[in-house]
Amino acid sequence: MTMYKKHIALLLLTSAICILSIGFTTIINRSEKVSAVLLTNQTVFNAGDAIVLEFELEKPVTTKLFLHSSYGSTVITPNKQKDTQYSIPNFMTNKSGVIKYILSHKSAIVYEGELQINPNINTKVHLESYIGPPSIIAGGEDYTMQVVIPTDIYDNPLPEETPIQIGHQFLNTEKENILYTKDMMGWKNIFSYDQSGRILLFSVVGETVSKEFSVEVFPALPENFEITSDRRHKYADGNQITELVTSIIKDEYDNVVSDGTIVDFEIIDAKGAVLQTQGSTINGTAVAKILHPDHKDIWRIKAYVYGMAESNTIKLEYTPVLDDFEVVFDKGNREIKVGPLVSFMEQLIPNGALVKLDIFIDDKKIDTKVKTSLDGVVRFILEEGFYVSGEYDIKIKALGIKKEYNNITLQ
Amino acid sequence: MISWNKNIYRSLIIISFIGVVILVLFGISQALSYLNTGADRTSMLHVAVQKERVYFPKVEWVDTINPGRPMEKQTLLEIEQDYLNAWYIRNAAYQTNKIEGVEDYYTQSARVNINTAVRHNKKEKIAIHSTTTAHNIDLDFYSADGQLVVLTDNDVKEYQRVYQGDKMLLETKLQSDYQVMLLLEDGFWRIRHMVKEKNSLQEEITKTNGLAEVIDDKIYIDGEEYQIKGINYYPQKTPWDMFGDDFDIDIIAQDFDIITTAGLNTIRIFVPYEFFGKAEVDYQKLQKLEQTLDMAAVKNLKVVVTLFDFYGDYSVLDWTLTHRHAEQIVKPFANHKAILAWDIKNEPNLDFTTRKKENVLAWLKEMVYQVKQFDSNHLVTIGWSDVESASLLKEEVDIISYHYYQDINRFADAYVLLNSKIDKPLVLQEFGLSSSRGLWSPFGPSEKEQAAYYKKFQQLIKQENIHYLSWTLYDFDKVPSSVVGKLPWRKHKQKHFGFIDHKGNKKPAFEFISKE
Repeated sequence: MTMYKKHIALLLLTSAICILSIGFTTIINRSEKVSAVLLTNQTVFNAGDAIVLEFELEKPVTTKLFLHSSYGSTVITPNKQKDTQYSIPNFMTNKSGVIKYILSHKSAIVYEGELQINPNINTKVHLESYIGPPSIIAGGEDYTMQVVIPTDIYDNPLPEETPIQIGHQFLNTEKENILYTKDMMGWKNIFSYDQSGRILLFSVVGETVSKEFSVEVFPALPENFEITSDRRHKYADGNQITELVTSIIKDEYDNVVSDGTIVDFEIIDAKGAVLQTQGSTINGTAVAKILHPDHKDIWRIKAYVYGMAESNTIKLEYTPVLDDFEVVFDKGNREIKVGPLVSFMEQLIPNGALVKLDIFIDDKKIDTKVKTSLDGVVRFILEEGFYVSGEYDIKIKALGIKKEYNNITLQ
Repeated sequence: MISWNKNIYRSLIIISFIGVVILVLFGISQALSYLNTGADRTSMLHVAVQKERVYFPKVEWVDTINPGRPMEKQTLLEIEQDYLNAWYIRNAAYQTNKIEGVEDYYTQSARVNINTAVRHNKKEKIAIHSTTTAHNIDLDFYSADGQLVVLTDNDVKEYQRVYQGDKMLLETKLQSDYQVMLLLEDGFWRIRHMVKEKNSLQEEITKTNGLAEVIDDKIYIDGEEYQIKGINYYPQKTPWDMFGDDFDIDIIAQDFDIITTAGLNTIRIFVPYEFFGKAEVDYQKLQKLEQTLDMAAVKNLKVVVTLFDFYGDYSVLDWTLTHRHAEQIVKPFANHKAILAWDIKNEPNLDFTTRKKENVLAWLKEMVYQVKQFDSNHLVTIGWSDVESASLLKEEVDIISYHYYQDINRFADAYVLLNSKIDKPLVLQEFGLSSSRGLWSPFGPSEKEQAAYYKKFQQLIKQENIHYLSWTLYDFDKVPSSVVGKLPWRKHKQKHFGFIDHKGNKKPAFEFISKE
């Protein structure tokens, strides 16, 4: 019996403890609404200031402080010395902006508020400049933009209305301006001048001077220009070179166009075919070269900087380099020797002159042979295997001169 | 015999030789193809960074007027994309305490700030699950060379849940303003400066034209008190796949006629989350939903639309995707006459164990808020699976919905208890009995017992004047495994809850579908 009693007593005791503990926890749960007062008066700080928030709690409970600032959130525990004091970590006190803080106890909000952290204007200023585009066109319509972002040593943009002195130098001009920051930065458009050249830019905030920046001012669009030609002689020898030269190409403000401006020369020959050559400018002039034609021709030449400017048209005439040449038929007319080809100076035409031989049967062209001259002579051989014996008409063309031989009998 | 053996040995040797050669060749080709992978040009130039969007907060551009340079549409899209990615990467970094990807969206000087904070949190074992749900961006400045922008992001709604170890410390919903400077660096718009500014908190006032509203514990439609007498509806041939390829509005129209002639006035239908296209809702499926709602309006039925069927993530980083899903489904129907209520989710309390209660509740709470913003004309509810959960989030929802599949004899007590705790309309959103007697359930209820069950339930309903929707109109031939699992006896049970059997005949219970 006593054993049972003991058991019953034990059972009662444990159940009593259980009920009591449940009762207490519910009481504790209910009384968890803790209120707090902020003792720290200051709510506005400069970046880098140490910030300690001190609260007075209605009753001593453990709390945590949730912090939310520009770059994210964290939770901190109270200082070791005093459990109602919180030191805000550096990575938050160094950044300007609003810090929202929430003092919490067991997921419940006990106190919440905001701190304002201003950029620290007493520290050394850092300057970040962005200048672009890096090249612009002369004439005062195109511009580059100078953006200056002054920050404190904690990399916070300085407050609105911070004065920025900016300036630039171009040839003999030097200009300075004062800007006031807005939206984290100050900016100004720098317009080009009529001359081409290089603009140097700088900015100053407080004691800090920026690096020197440069912007290239390129000449504006080229104006129309003149072309001339230069050649050793006027003969169509297919060998000499004619040079085509532009005048100095300038923009409307008299700036010589940038080196490397491409000039295209279009040549229209007597038959209306278009030939082309190209040159790029150095010190404003472009030179293009083209081989003389190998026959009598008249060229009309005009140059373009495509889409921007064009030149006048010049006319060049090429006269034939020879009046006539000899043709000798040999070996049963199967070997045809053309030449010697002799130029206007009684000299052999340089090697490589084209000679064309057309072969006809009954007015029907059956073959064309093309050869180049060697020592003023070209030899054509009409092989037996290809050309059966019979009557042929033969036409020969060299350096613009045509010759016809009808009814040649091949053996 | 000997020559046979010889031949066998020969062939073995030859086969093994060929095998070795194949292996060696395979090895060499694998090595070569491995050496050919890696840095190709597209990855070096960041032209083909994987672009599946994972972050969809609500973004409004207030305007893009600025003194610097006119903003191009294309650039604006790129800035928005990169700016949101920066937020997503930052949220992910604070959640996992890893800084992967931060260097893509923050410049070298700016990322230091995140890195130090993350390092601090990691040391203190703090994890912050956060997301932003709304951004209102105003362009302040765009530089002439197109390399720098400054923008102000107003009223950024931030949700944060703070954990230390496994313990949740705090949950906050903040609204902040930020001024942000971004620079274009190797193809990315990266944050250079970010300053949180004072926010003048302005709660937007939502206007309602009150298509459906709740006054005290009564539901009113167009100013008249409304008693829900309803049924959960799937077409017989396409249960849990109502808006799929076999969608047939004629069958639905016939079913609606059956429902209305049976004396019912409300149906409940389901919109599956993934099937409707998650954050980018499939327009065709939306049209099918619209046809269904239009048909309901024609047949004079009110509809409870249950959203997020089969959704189960709830993680904070997934929030914005679900918000856009809700927006695209709810907003177009904000003025639809047929809708009675948006049911945020079916039986979310069943996910408490697997997804953590705080995750699910926080998601639901925010979703209720979101849905009310998209549509303030209709009611919002949550379909709790039991009476015990029904009082969760009771302040947020307009009507309280719960399901009851337990012992019918205990229903009256449970209802009275719930009714005493809550002063909003209570809706018995699902109840029913499966006439499942058969091979898989030899002792299950017969069709007669089902009829008796409904008869009794209708008496209780009449007694207490209860809003109800029974489960369900039809017996089904097939039940997808995603509903009750793969076990055949569970599927079997789920097939026989209907008032109308497989062959289309009314079961005895049909008599008690709307009256005792």
